[in-house]
Amino acid sequence: MLRLQHITKRFGDNLAVDDVTLELRRGEILALVGENGAGKTTLMRIAAGELAAGSGTIHRDGEIGIVHQHFLLVAGFTIAENLALQRSWRFASRRALEREAETLIASTGIRLDDPSRRVETISVGEKSKLELIKAIAKKPEVLILDEPTSVLTPQESAELFTVMRALAAGGTSVVFISHKLPEVLEIAHRIVVMRGGRIVAETEAHGMTASDLANAMVERTSRAAGVASTDSSTRGEIVAIVGVAGNGQTELAERFRKENPGAALIPEDRTRDGIVAEMSIAENLSLKSRRWNRREAAASASTLIARYSIRATGPDQDAGSLSGGNQQKVILARELEQKPKKILAAEPTRGLDIEATAFVHAQLRAAAAGGASILLITSDLDEAFALADVIQVIYRGKLSEPLTPAAAHERVGALMAGIA
Amino acid sequence: MRQLAAALLAVVLLSLCALAVGRSPVELLRILTLGSVGSRFAIEGTLLKSIPLLLTGLSVALAFRAGVWNIGGEGQFITGAIAALIASHLGVVPAILASMLAGAVWASIATLMRLWRNAPEVLTTILLNFTAIHLLGWCVNGPLQERSAQYPQSDLAGASLPVAGELHAGIVIALAASVASWFLLYRTAAGLRLRATGLNARAAAWAGINVNAQLVRAMAISGAFAGLAGGIELLGTTHRLFERFAAGYGYSGIAVALLAQLHPLATVASAMFFGALATGAGELQRTAGISSSIAVFGQAVIILLLILFGSWRSRD
Repeated sequence: MLRLQHITKRFGDNLAVDDVTLELRRGEILALVGENGAGKTTLMRIAAGELAAGSGTIHRDGEIGIVHQHFLLVAGFTIAENLALQRSWRFASRRALEREAETLIASTGIRLDDPSRRVETISVGEKSKLELIKAIAKKPEVLILDEPTSVLTPQESAELFTVMRALAAGGTSVVFISHKLPEVLEIAHRIVVMRGGRIVAETEAHGMTASDLANAMVERTSRAAGVASTDSSTRGEIVAIVGVAGNGQTELAERFRKENPGAALIPEDRTRDGIVAEMSIAENLSLKSRRWNRREAAASASTLIARYSIRATGPDQDAGSLSGGNQQKVILARELEQKPKKILAAEPTRGLDIEATAFVHAQLRAAAAGGASILLITSDLDEAFALADVIQVIYRGKLSEPLTPAAAHERVGALMAGIA
Repeated sequence: MRQLAAALLAVVLLSLCALAVGRSPVELLRILTLGSVGSRFAIEGTLLKSIPLLLTGLSVALAFRAGVWNIGGEGQFITGAIAALIASHLGVVPAILASMLAGAVWASIATLMRLWRNAPEVLTTILLNFTAIHLLGWCVNGPLQERSAQYPQSDLAGASLPVAGELHAGIVIALAASVASWFLLYRTAAGLRLRATGLNARAAAWAGINVNAQLVRAMAISGAFAGLAGGIELLGTTHRLFERFAAGYGYSGIAVALLAQLHPLATVASAMFFGALATGAGELQRTAGISSSIAVFGQAVIILLLILFGSWRSRD
């Protein structure tokens, strides 16, 4: 159904995929894990025919569906209209499209209510469900899911896993790209670990533990930026805002940005709001500078690339060609080097691997220890509990009272669901 | 590479047109070349035509780089010339400064409408062109009409640019403007902010850049360059205003900038090319009896091919 042999792909000087051979079995769930920039997404885009391989051969049988990390939906169209776009052209009433959509959605086993709603009004989780429905509707032999759970609530993730198991039982092969190791161990039959463009481990999931996997994924390098010694009088507070995506987090971040000129800002959507893709790393790092000298900017960019262990060919590389984790490090370097008093970090580790996540957390802790107060907006509860001094839940645009982490443990689930 | 392919294809297409009207393309190309760069006189003519084209081209390149769609070069060119004429009685330097100021002010009307009601500058700048054209018509039939009141034109300007042969000092100003634009865009923090805003305004805003300030600035500089083009054309070449004064220089600036891929230094070569095309076309009219509209036609063919080749590659 899908066989990749000796696939290699280069982007400029960067070897994204390096001589990879991989075969997919019928009806299996294969997890593809690895840190940011390991080449997982590139490999799968080649498999799906979206990118041309530099060299190597690909045998495909039947349709290959791919659900991307970013959404490919027409915002002004309804759910039903977005689904109808995949079909050939014909006359149909709005009502007929909606009925068709309902049948189609029901057949996938995914819950998505009222297909007459416009996509711009539905939540991120619902959009990702819609993308999944679109892919399943084509009845693919192989279905590739790129970080599908990064925007889902735990309940939605569980629902997704049920769908994935049903698809696999029906003979579809599912490729699941993820960073979340517990999920991978829960759902996958087989696990392939990539690092630096190569497959470094390939194993049956049965009997594996998260720490085995983590060790395979991460090439241990010297840990950067440890936590500075903490003096409680000058230490800044970390306030975490948690909640299901789409409950007003974006609006809250916008308001913070407008009300706090000069604050360090780590935006939720890093490719859209965080970097200028067509500009070099050095230029992106200089966007906050008052004065700018090209040579000095390149020199200081080289320093920052080393200090933040940004994986790049040099300060002149286009920021857009970096992997997600490395883009995030560029943003961190630019924002935190200003020694800000206030920091907004919105979903700072979404889609990042273990090592990059640990790095970002260490940087935020160090900034707090240095006296900065941090507003952390996250849908990752583990992140909130790992970092926050105070936790508040956002639900339908309203913030709960501030809770200590201990108190939050008890109440956060109910607050997020709007029950309490 | 792409520009070269587009230019070659343009030559082929235009040759076919020549054959269609029963003329030898080689002969016409010879006249076009000789008429634009074949003699000292021809070269001076080409350079004279490229001066306003270079400045309007820079005006467009700067604005587009900052993500501001200033299509109003024609109007800013005209208001710049009107201001230069009025200020020329104070001397040539005040006249040039006045032309830049007037161009900037005229362009900033569009900025104000954008900031106030979010009116897209593509529309407002175009509409301001028509306004300026009629303002010019009224001026040369009314308050600025020559004293003898015979023709719809102004008296001679009170000052003019220093000349050397056929050429005037405008060429130095235009070349300096080109280097200054390059320096601003690629060697200063202000230019970095302008470019970042043009490439990704959202990311620029999140990085703490005041995006509206960039819009104001880009539009003002762009307008100042187009106004300067008008001022220099008046003070160096025409010495008076008349109804068809602008002659499409503002619009041609878009073609010049696009051919140069919005790069301020490449704009010099691009302006020379279009200048040569226009001058050579004049020669075609005189010696071969072919309308000089053919130059405008050729320009249009080149722009269309550039856009075609550009979009063809970006679908990659």
